[in-house]
Amino acid sequence: MSRPQALDDGTMQSVSPVTAPVLAVKDFSLTFKAGAETNLVESVSFSVSPGKTLCIVGESGCGKSVTSLALMGLLPSPPARIVSGTAEFNGRNLFAMPERARADLRGNEMAMIFQEPMTSLNPAFTVGQQIAEGIMRHRDVSKGEARAEALKMLEWVRIPAPEKRLDAYPHQLSGGMRQRVMIAMALANRPKLLIADEPTTALDVTIQAQILALVRQIQAETGTAMILITHDLGVVAEVADDVAVMYAGRIVESGPVEAIFGDPQHPYTIGLFGSVPSLGRRQGRLATIKGAVPPLDLMPKGCRFAPRCPLADSRCHDEVPPTVPFGDGHSAACWYAPIEQTMEARQ
Amino acid sequence: MLKIIARRVFVAIPTLVLVTLIVFGLQKILPGDPLLTMAGEERDPQVLAFLREKYRLDDPFHVQYLAWLGNVLTGDFGNSLRTGVPVSTLIAQKLPVTLQLAVMAIIMAMLIGIPAGIIAAVRKGTVTDYAANAVALSGMSIPNFWLGIILIMIVSVQWRLLPASGYVPLTEDPLQSLRTMLMPSFVLGTALAAYLMRHTRSAMLGVLTSDYIRTARAKGLLPKTVILKHALRNALMPIVTLSTLLFGELLAGAVLTEQVFTIPGFGKLIVDAVFTRDYAVVQGVVLCTAVGFIFMNLIADVLYILINPRLRHPQ
Repeated sequence: MSRPQALDDGTMQSVSPVTAPVLAVKDFSLTFKAGAETNLVESVSFSVSPGKTLCIVGESGCGKSVTSLALMGLLPSPPARIVSGTAEFNGRNLFAMPERARADLRGNEMAMIFQEPMTSLNPAFTVGQQIAEGIMRHRDVSKGEARAEALKMLEWVRIPAPEKRLDAYPHQLSGGMRQRVMIAMALANRPKLLIADEPTTALDVTIQAQILALVRQIQAETGTAMILITHDLGVVAEVADDVAVMYAGRIVESGPVEAIFGDPQHPYTIGLFGSVPSLGRRQGRLATIKGAVPPLDLMPKGCRFAPRCPLADSRCHDEVPPTVPFGDGHSAACWYAPIEQTMEARQ
Repeated sequence: MLKIIARRVFVAIPTLVLVTLIVFGLQKILPGDPLLTMAGEERDPQVLAFLREKYRLDDPFHVQYLAWLGNVLTGDFGNSLRTGVPVSTLIAQKLPVTLQLAVMAIIMAMLIGIPAGIIAAVRKGTVTDYAANAVALSGMSIPNFWLGIILIMIVSVQWRLLPASGYVPLTEDPLQSLRTMLMPSFVLGTALAAYLMRHTRSAMLGVLTSDYIRTARAKGLLPKTVILKHALRNALMPIVTLSTLLFGELLAGAVLTEQVFTIPGFGKLIVDAVFTRDYAVVQGVVLCTAVGFIFMNLIADVLYILINPRLRHPQ
């Protein structure tokens, strides 16, 4: 049984090493309960380079949103507590920065779009005021200049009749429009990193496609690095350069999008793709992954997917699997990886 | 916007009519006869009959009501049954006093209650929060007259800082007027501040967890801006509602506080009038207070529209 060696530090390289990453997260663990045995997010590592999109995929509750909020510094602490890890943003560790310095970064060099466009805008202020406010916070501009800039942003995110919308209140706009405003607000200071937490989940399908196209286009124009958090594999296929698959607080597989889609190595990833309906004739039933994510206090010592994994043996339950690299940045955290060879060797 | 305000004013009219009916009607149901007070010990039937005739007390209800309403609309509230002084004169004397006390008390309440509520909400679950709640609870439970007497003893008698009682019109000597009113308005204000604090706290707690607060923080805004601009603006509705209601209540006068500080306000006027069954005075004062209340509700409606843009453009 031959198996490649795990990386020494257990990290997963998910980007091509050509450009320095904008953000490199290493061994990040987070808990909501002091002294809890298992962490909500456990030893997560990933990085994202300028102009690239990293998709973090996983079902709800797997820790993907929490991770992104922690990176932005938006998690209330307490109860959230970062147990370990670093997040190098342009060479500075976010987790070691004072709150004031992080506030200076937020909405400036790193920005975020949220899942709920209906409730994410303040109902008491006009769209223009809310965009201009972020501009004035980080740039030394007058009110008039900020307003002009806000108008430019609305044009940029292709809102029709932007002059009129500038003085509109959020309740006067549709969900798709509001999400465009959120994007305009996030991009107003040309961030180097944009985190989008399920930006299209709450929108109609047609609007989803428009918003995704817009985000792609803006990214191409600005070279912003993006972390897109989603559970929608269709979105992943459309926009991702790299993918990190999260399960129960851990990254189980990561790599370039082609590798993840073409040659998934982790049983969870394989199961995840099996659960997506595709066009054309279907052979048999749609695959499902048996069981449910175990609650945190019942999390197995070893691989967190073990209770639901068709391949799991006693070692899977007891020992944390190593991260196995396959080259080209593709790696999976599984005792059976690479899966084909292992299965062949067994037979 | 003006249209919406006009509609609110229009809606207030039936309420006003209802108030006049109740004010007038309740008087008639009350037991006791003012004429017995007026006629004195002898109770000469002839005198009683003359008085009945003079005050039209034997007319049918609707005739009495309409006659009274007609007079009221021209500013004539009748004369005090006891002293013969026109009720409008009495009101004109007492209203500025009560108004000044009410304004100062509500300002006091807002200055203490709203910041305390904000701080308690932001520091929820900490010692500060518990302390603010404890102080608020004592503010609600300490009787006004007790706090008033204690303050007089300390501030006026021992420290000789402020006058213990009395009233100086604002127009006569503004500074002295404010000084005299400071303690009574503080006594009234602290009790109301407790209510305001509790409501501000709960409104802020509701707002602080909303998505747009997270957005505001994601923009890099500093806590001060997030709390005082983005959160407070949205928490303002219940605060405005309560403030205007409390102010309306203050307009009815504060009997105990006025008594302790010997302030010649509405409270004393109405209590005296009720005890002597001085119908005309009671009617006048109650009507005044009710109109004040309705007016404050109108103010609240207008403030809602200013605060909440969603009310400005009804879909």
